[in-house]
Amino acid sequence: MNKAQLKVEGGKLIKIQLETVDDKIKKVKITGDFFLHPEELIDDMERTVTGASLDEKAIADRIKKFILRNKAVLLGASPEDFAKCIVMAGVDNG
Amino acid sequence: MVEYWRLLDTGLHDAFYNMALDEAIVLARSKNLVPNTIRFFRWEPSAVSIGHFQSMEEEVDTSACDKKGIDYVRRRTGGGAVYHDRDGELTYSIIMNQDHRLISPDFQKTYETLCLGLVRGLRRLGVQAEFKPINDIIADGKKISGNAQTRGMNVVHQHGTILLKVDPSLMFSVLRVPNEKIRDKMVKTVEERVTSLERVLKRDVGFDELKESLVKGFEEAFNIKLVDGTLTSFEEQNSSRLIIEKYATTEWNFRR
Repeated sequence: MNKAQLKVEGGKLIKIQLETVDDKIKKVKITGDFFLHPEELIDDMERTVTGASLDEKAIADRIKKFILRNKAVLLGASPEDFAKCIVMAGVDNG
Repeated sequence: MVEYWRLLDTGLHDAFYNMALDEAIVLARSKNLVPNTIRFFRWEPSAVSIGHFQSMEEEVDTSACDKKGIDYVRRRTGGGAVYHDRDGELTYSIIMNQDHRLISPDFQKTYETLCLGLVRGLRRLGVQAEFKPINDIIADGKKISGNAQTRGMNVVHQHGTILLKVDPSLMFSVLRVPNEKIRDKMVKTVEERVTSLERVLKRDVGFDELKESLVKGFEEAFNIKLVDGTLTSFEEQNSSRLIIEKYATTEWNFRR
């Protein structure tokens, strides 16, 4: 399990735990002090990036689409911030 | 026409009851069984609450809490870990219908609107309080109040804290730090960033004095009248149920 954390400028803290297989996301756990509404969506938001390559833009796109599709609201962290932190955790893998 | 809201002061309770009762009031409000409500409460024993998306293991030194008899609970709202000192902090909740004139679809705007009640109340005490996005109230440039909001079932629920006294070293004895070497540094950082009524006003402020000011602040800012009320049996029954089914369970508190 690889970890990374990112303090968003003017926003909140994101923590990522990541498992990858062949440079693709197998499982991600997103924690932190950000806001996501409705809160129950967090598990599905984690699942929405499963199978994605460790590419910031691709991951951000998936999360963006997920947010739009579910009429969700993020506060203190953006899809790009989550993507950046996930890739940071992936790079940490070596 | 005057808009009447219910005022509750539920006093000292443990963390599980406190969080369960907030949700029970939300349920009651969603079924239109109770009016819009502002609730004041405190924590006995002192407790740590964590945000909906935080990891209990990563944020809280639960064995230190167990030794000190400090409760730990996950909130239904997002945001960060908070140490709720029995004698140093007042907590409030606002529970209201989402189609109310004060509520915007924009969460950030709504934080500012609802926090204005606190800001007005603090200013009445002589504290030059200001709202600071995303969800803080500051005085002398330091945080004095943290707030968290959620919505669902056509109800807006915001709760938050006002610090009367602050002891950062006690705070960090129950919150996790990345490593022991930086514990002192983190305590110092909190000293620099967090303040309390005692520090700002250089005198002791009692809970009753603070609550009285906040009531007036909410009434002015929201253009409402607060009327002392009591809990309904629906709220009491549901809070008991939610303690057992949710807030006192390992499944909920350690789910992330």
